[in-house]
Amino acid sequence: MVCFADLNIININDKKRLQTIIETAAHLGYSTVAINHVLDFQQKEQGIANPISVAELFPSPPIVQGKSKPIKIMTRLTLIASDVSHYNQLRTAYPQNLPYDIIAVEPKTEKLFHVACMTLDIDLICIQGTSKLPFRITRPPVNGAIARGIYFELTYFPAINDFTLRRYTISNGICLMNVCKGKNVIVSSATEEFLGLRGPYDISNFGILFGLSEEDAKAAVSTNCRAVVLHGATRKTALGVIHTTRNVTASEGKDEGRPRKKTKTEHNG
Amino acid sequence: MWSPTGSGAYRRPGRTMSRPGVECRGSAAERRVHRNPSHYQYLKVGLECEPRGPGLRLSDAAFKQTIVAALRGLHGEIGAALPVDVLKFEERSLTAILRVRGSDLVKLWSALTLVASCKDKKCAFRIIQVSPFLLALAGNSREFLLD
Repeated sequence: MVCFADLNIININDKKRLQTIIETAAHLGYSTVAINHVLDFQQKEQGIANPISVAELFPSPPIVQGKSKPIKIMTRLTLIASDVSHYNQLRTAYPQNLPYDIIAVEPKTEKLFHVACMTLDIDLICIQGTSKLPFRITRPPVNGAIARGIYFELTYFPAINDFTLRRYTISNGICLMNVCKGKNVIVSSATEEFLGLRGPYDISNFGILFGLSEEDAKAAVSTNCRAVVLHGATRKTALGVIHTTRNVTASEGKDEGRPRKKTKTEHNG
Repeated sequence: MWSPTGSGAYRRPGRTMSRPGVECRGSAAERRVHRNPSHYQYLKVGLECEPRGPGLRLSDAAFKQTIVAALRGLHGEIGAALPVDVLKFEERSLTAILRVRGSDLVKLWSALTLVASCKDKKCAFRIIQVSPFLLALAGNSREFLLD
């Protein structure tokens, strides 16, 4: 069974409200959430900030409904850009690797959309519902993005708030689905308040409105999100090599096989 | 005690001789396969409001009004004309059980998903359960603990 994920919760500076949103997400059944830092290159003075520290936000994350496991919180960066130089600016700031789990780009021009699909080293391409798409989505870049394992993101929070934005969201969604045929699409919230969140089943039902099939709509909140997270993990490391180190303290180092034995005896007793 | 593996309880359809109304000796159960027997879908919904708890007083008529307005907002007059029944409404917890035709389920569900306000207050519909059988709403499968 694949867990549900919502990969776009806008990072608001109010810590308490952010906690409420994440608690609501856990209650609704999301197993993974990503806190989104939006970086708008059209407003010049913004710098690239370090991500919010998850451990500081939640010493003990809330339990997911129906799972008895704590919710997994990730960090994500979204660039609102209109030119490739904006992305290079980001690369020069962090030549090694970015301290974010997921990198997304929201292209404003057709040229950048093409480059983002074909060459940029990112995980997600955002299709916002807040305005009419400034360019036409064509098949060649989308096919390239699907071949590279890059996903497209639709946000639904604008659709909840406003009738006009609802129209834009649905029309942008239909435009995208006509081209990509329901492959490589995720739907996420982009919410700033807890009442803007909807349950994962609601969202997969909402995806049917875009013309997704039922399986594709469910994959858009579960399987595809997992693929995005994994794509981000491989991008963060050396494209597939994941290296972990375990902190072994002096007392634990002596008897290494012991913990396993201990659990065995617990099962017997 | 009836058991599905008991002798004679299930037979292959070709061999069964029993017809409705005709008693057939030796067969303990009649096998009938229905394809999509239920015409309706039932939804158990709750309404969540900005201050947690009962911050909003709502009558059953106003509740129905909210649903129709939501349907009109997303699907227009055709949406507003869909037959939606509020079977049960609890004012205190703001939960209700709705009934729609199975073919209209997607329309109703998506309209409820996009509700943002009710009586000028911010709120959200939480769809707790969806089932083609009313009996299934007695228990909640989403809150089962899976280890």
